[in-house]
This record gives sequence, C-alpha cells and structure tokens, in this order.
Amino acid sequence: MVKRIRFRVFVAMGVAGLTWVALTPAGATPQAEEITATRNPLTSPSDVAAGAKTFRGHCAPCHGVNGEGGRGPNLASGVFFHGSSDVDLLNNISEGIQGTEMPGLFYSPDRVWQIVAFIRSLNAGKQAKPTADVAQGESLFKSKGCHQCHRVSGEGGRLGPDLSDIGRTRSAEHLRAALLDPQADVRQRYWVVSFRDASGTKQEGFLMNEDSYTVQFIDMSQRLHSLTKSGLKDYKVEKTSRMPSFKDSLSSTELEQLVAYLSSLRPKGGAQ
Amino acid sequence: MKHIRVASAVIVLTCVTAPLHAQLTYERLLKAEQDPGNWLTYSGNYRSWRYSPLNEVTRDNARKLKLKWVYQMQTTHTVETTPLVADGVMYFTEPPSNVVAVDAATGRQFWRYRRVMPKKVNACCGQVNRGIALLGDRVFVGTVDAHLVALDAKTGAVLWDIEVADYRTGHSITVAPLIVKDMVICGISGGEYGIRGFLDAYDVASGKRRWRYWTIPAPGEPGSQTWPGDSWKTGGAPTWVTGSFDPEQNLIIWGTGNPSPDWNGDSRKGDNLYSDSAIALDVDTGKLKWYFQHVPHDVHDWDSVQVPVLVDDEFLGRPRKLIYWAHRNAFYYVLDRETGQFLLGKPFATQTWAKGLDEKGRPIRLPNIDPSLEGTYVWPGVQGATNWFSPSYSPLTKLLYVSVWENQGLYRKGEQEYSPGNRYIGSVPMIDLPDDPGHGAIRALNPKTGDRLWEYKLQTKPWAGVLSTAGQLVFGGSDEGHVFALDATNGKEIWRQNLGGIIRTNPISYQSQGKQVIAIAAGNSMFTFELGD
Repeated sequence: MVKRIRFRVFVAMGVAGLTWVALTPAGATPQAEEITATRNPLTSPSDVAAGAKTFRGHCAPCHGVNGEGGRGPNLASGVFFHGSSDVDLLNNISEGIQGTEMPGLFYSPDRVWQIVAFIRSLNAGKQAKPTADVAQGESLFKSKGCHQCHRVSGEGGRLGPDLSDIGRTRSAEHLRAALLDPQADVRQRYWVVSFRDASGTKQEGFLMNEDSYTVQFIDMSQRLHSLTKSGLKDYKVEKTSRMPSFKDSLSSTELEQLVAYLSSLRPKGGAQ
Repeated sequence: MKHIRVASAVIVLTCVTAPLHAQLTYERLLKAEQDPGNWLTYSGNYRSWRYSPLNEVTRDNARKLKLKWVYQMQTTHTVETTPLVADGVMYFTEPPSNVVAVDAATGRQFWRYRRVMPKKVNACCGQVNRGIALLGDRVFVGTVDAHLVALDAKTGAVLWDIEVADYRTGHSITVAPLIVKDMVICGISGGEYGIRGFLDAYDVASGKRRWRYWTIPAPGEPGSQTWPGDSWKTGGAPTWVTGSFDPEQNLIIWGTGNPSPDWNGDSRKGDNLYSDSAIALDVDTGKLKWYFQHVPHDVHDWDSVQVPVLVDDEFLGRPRKLIYWAHRNAFYYVLDRETGQFLLGKPFATQTWAKGLDEKGRPIRLPNIDPSLEGTYVWPGVQGATNWFSPSYSPLTKLLYVSVWENQGLYRKGEQEYSPGNRYIGSVPMIDLPDDPGHGAIRALNPKTGDRLWEYKLQTKPWAGVLSTAGQLVFGGSDEGHVFALDATNGKEIWRQNLGGIIRTNPISYQSQGKQVIAIAAGNSMFTFELGD
C-alpha cells in the first residue's frame, strides 16, 4: 500500500482535473489548504504529452531528452533512489532534492503530475535491462585494464570516475557511447592540467579544483597536489579524456557484456 | 587629498561620540557623501557610486587588513545582502527575508526579525534578498512572499506589514528598497512567472501606497502597441534591483527586467515596452518622464537591472547630467539623464548578437541569434556580461569599475503557456557550458569612451559587486570565495583573503571606533575587516 502523504498547496484541482483555481481572493492572506494524494491523477495521453513538453524544456538539459541521463541520473530505468512512489516523484520535482544538484521546479502540482506521467511512460518497458553476460563483462573490465583507472567497490584506480554505482546514473546507451567515444562527454573533473614547475619539471594530473590563484589536482601516481599558479610555466588545461576508445578493441558481444556489467553496478545498501 | 583626511578626522570624533539612537533624516540621506562613517543607502549615495570617501585604508597599507568580526547567519539560502550602517548599528538581511541589527563595532546582535514564510514561495532564482532601507527609526524590508514590512530600528518589532502583491502568482520582493523623502520606493520580482511589473511608492509612516507605475502599459496607453493581444498582462518587466535618485530633477531612475516569457517571444511580438529599459519617474507622482530601452523584444533574458550610475560631467563639449550603464547585454551605455537621450554605446565584453547600436542606441541585431529548438550559441550567456551586482564610480580616478562575465550561452526555445504561479519562460537555456564555462574579470572603463583601462582576471565569473574608495582601492569578491583589494589606477592586486564561501553581494565601507571598516558577506556570514597594527 502506498503511504498517504499530505502536502500543502494553495490551489484546488478543478473538476476536469486540469484547471487549478486560486481559493483565496486577491489581497487576502493566503490560507494554505491541505489536500491528500497518493497516485498521479493525471495520466492520460494528453497529460503525458504535456509532461513531455515541460520535461524537454526544463529537465532534459540534465536528464536527457528521453530521460536517459546525463549530468543528472537516468530516469528511464524505472529505478529511483529518492523514493519511487508517484508522490515521491512529485515532491522531488517540486521541492528539489537536498544534497544533490536537483533544484525544485516551482510548478503547480498539475504540471508536475504531468511530468511524472511522462517519466512513467519512459519506464514502461522501453529501457530493457541488458541481457548480456554480466560475469563475462566483469572479467573484461579487468582484462582490458579498466580497473587501473576506475574504482569499483573500493578496488581499482582513482584516475577515472568511480564506477561503483554507475548503473544507477547512466543508461546502457550512455555507457555504450562512452566506451566507443570517450571524448564525447568529458566532465571537468577529468580534464588534464599540465605545467612546468619552478625547476622546469613537467607535471600533469587530473584537475580537481581551480581558482584564480591556485590549482588542485591528482597526478598520474594518484598523489594530491595544491599549488599556487603564479610559479607555474606553460600552464594548460586539456578538455579531452585520457580514456582510450574501445571501438576497435572490443567485439560487439564483448561491448554488450561490458555494458551489462557496468549497468549492474548499483549502490550497496539504502533504497534501491 | 588633504582635505579628505581632515574631514575623516572630524568624522572619527563624530562617530565615537554618536549615540546609537541618532535620527536618520532624509536630509542625511541626501548628503550621504558627507557622512562617510555611515553607509546609509544600498549604493552608498543617491547617485549610486558605491564609493567611500574614507581614505584610511590605502594602496600602501591595505595588505595589513585583518578580520574584525564575523556574523554567522542562520540560513542555508544564498546571501546577497548589502549591509547598511547608521550610527554604530549595522543592519542586513538574512535570506529569505529576515533582518538582523548588530553592533557595527563587534558584530554582536541587537535583534533579529524572523519572517515566517509560506511553505512554498515561487522565486525564480533562490529565496534571496539584497538588503533593507533606513529612515528615522525605521527599517524597511521587502519579503520573498511579496510583502513590505516596516520594523522598529531599535527592537525589530513590526510597525506595519502590507501585501504588495500576491506571492501565489509568482510575485516576490528581493530588491533593497530606496527611501526618497517620506516614501519607500520598492520594486517587484517575478519576470519568470509572467507577472505584470511595477514600481511602487509607500508612505513610510503608514505603509499606504502613494503611487504605482506599471512597467507595461495597459491598452490605449503610450507603448501599449508594443504588446499584441493580452500579452501585456503577463509580460514581466519586473524591477528587482535598486535604482538611483536625482534630487535636482526629482527623478527616480530605475532599471526594468526581461519580458515574459523569457526565451520565446512569439506571443509578444513587438518591442515590449518598457521591459529591459531605464525608466525615469517623477518621484512625487510616479509619472514617466522618459525611458530608454536597451533591448527591444528581448529573447535572451538580458534585464536592465544594473544600478544606474549618475554623474555630472562634460560630455560632447558641454556639461551634462549623465548616466553610466554597463548592461547585461555586453554593451556599455552613456545616457543623458534629463532626456534619456542615447549618447554612447560600446561593447565592454564579448558579444555576438549585435552588429552595433544605431544612432538612437537601438541594437542592430545579427541574424540567427534567437533561441532555437536545437539551441543557439550566443555571447554573452544568459546571465549576461554583468548582472545585478553593483558597479562603482570613483570621482578620484573618474573610472567606472564593473564585475564582468566573459561567457556564452546555449539558448533553447520551447513552448510555453501561461498559468498563474507557474514558470513562464519558454524553455531553459544552458547557463554554464560544461566545456566552456567562461571566466570573469573586474574591469575599469573610461566612462566617457567605454574604453577599457585595465582588467583583473578571474578564473570564475563573479557575482559580487565592487566598491571604490578614496584610498585609491577597488574592493571586490569572487565565487571562489576571495575578497580582494585592487589598485584603482591599474588593477594590481594588493590584498586578498579567502573567506571560504561564495561571495554574491556588494562590499561597503564605514567607520567604527575611529577606523575604516570594509564589510562584505560571503557564504552564510557577514565579514568585516580593518587595518591591523
């Protein structure tokens, strides 16, 4: 049974379920009315279409046009980590999620319900789980040297992104694309900074932070550095990935196996 | 220079002996420049120079600046407040809409007004507040739920609390009000919610509204022909940054914000007056004397919400009353403030949207710069080449100092229907491009030509304004959390301190216990600095 959650809004839903009418006359002190809801009341095809419009305008820059994920998590997988009921989704979209980059959308509930309807439509079997052999993929992950740069569950290198829960945040499509063309989406955290220090020695590493005066990076030996820029020569930041493309080194079967393994990586504990 | 030092010495004595209950009269606000020990209005004076005549801290000794005190606010919202200081008391807001009064010498709190907010308030860009206004023994604050409140300056008790507009339809107040005569001039936010913008004047004693100037004309009024159909009802043009006052002309000069919806102008074909404009209003009647529109039919969200800097100087061969205006659209403007006539326009940052400005200051747009379904790259980005944070003008160097963004944006166009209280923006552009985040700078402009004299480059784009002082310094801050002092003549850094939190506000200077103090908020705290021994 879905837990009944009470939330406060200042509007009431019209009879048609599409029009929201202000309860309080203009000029009066707003009086919030409590209403209850457990399930999305707006799930018609027209609601889904309207939700898609709003989603593509406001959510797609982070979550992808079809919810496939990007800077924000994949919403098409049907797996949500901050509550998966309709009301959870409504609240998370409306209020944002503390401790994450997810902002509140500031739309009235009817519009947010339509977004929920659209997200649910993405979940309806379109994003089938990879069927390739996960164990083979794990074996490839090691044999191809991925673990030298990437960490999974506390084991592996630290130069590339930690992949311990990558299956939560990236769709299979996104993972496949990243393996074939790593340059297509390089996050700032993995840009490479290089320079010559006061002694003329060349140094390089992955940029961790930078301001007008200092730079923080992890070198290729996984040592942390924080230096003042003013003493550095030939200072340069490359916005390209050091990850090799696996386009020519994986068969199509191996590629699917590796994607299946990465998609299987989920956080331990907590709500799944 | 000498006479300024003598003046400072006199002020020192005044401040040391001034009682904490001195009356703050309108005459004192008019003569704020002669009272540099205090900081009495948002921009320091009615001309909005954000300039302090105090000269104890100089290029020679600024490196000895040390922390004086810190006040940690009880908030998790972004702090954008500019403090005011009057007779030993510092007043500032804590977001969303609380007010604090502290001892300006120690940072110890006298009182705190905590506003109880509705559970959900629609503010486009965070529940922020940029400051208060002072007159007599009253403090005035606008609230995110669109009320204007008068507080007792000695206790924080509420004297009156009026609803300016309905917050449920996307109205909010983030602007610091401006006192003129016996009126509180207060703007409105909500350009992302399809409000119809206005600027109000309220009686300081009763809170009764004296006048309202609608920034979008109703049908039949001059300018209404620039809005098709009912688009004027939801056209935006808010007034969310404090303007300036010209006492000689009895004119308020204020900037207006973007038309709504921001990035899709299909429903509002036309110039959309008076969005993205400088407006000059008679302060007694609220009637429009002149306007100048920087961006006709804006589809990039380039509000004219910069603080207008008023200067009397010679221009084109004769003395004039001027306005200096570095705009979000990357052009620097000089206007005649008696008529609104365009005198000069020149880019002060990279822009790719206009070939230039014509003889009347109207932009000559380049093709293919409007938002599109697939996205259109344009310089400057959505937050512009500068924004709401204050510029500064120094009468000593006669330079205009501006916090600048060098950045491009990806402008997307989406469909948009109006519904009350919902965002009404027409898609969301990418504000920061991951591969090309741009950078920032403090720039000094020759205000008569728009030429750049120097630049202090920043890795990131600053959201902090600048303060110039008679010590030939320019103070500023960065999103990286550094507050810094630059040589006002050449931009060389003299002092820098990491405050550990983003700086999204404007610095001020005042005097306490005989010493010059620099104050600026960073992170969730108010910091003050003075010279160490």
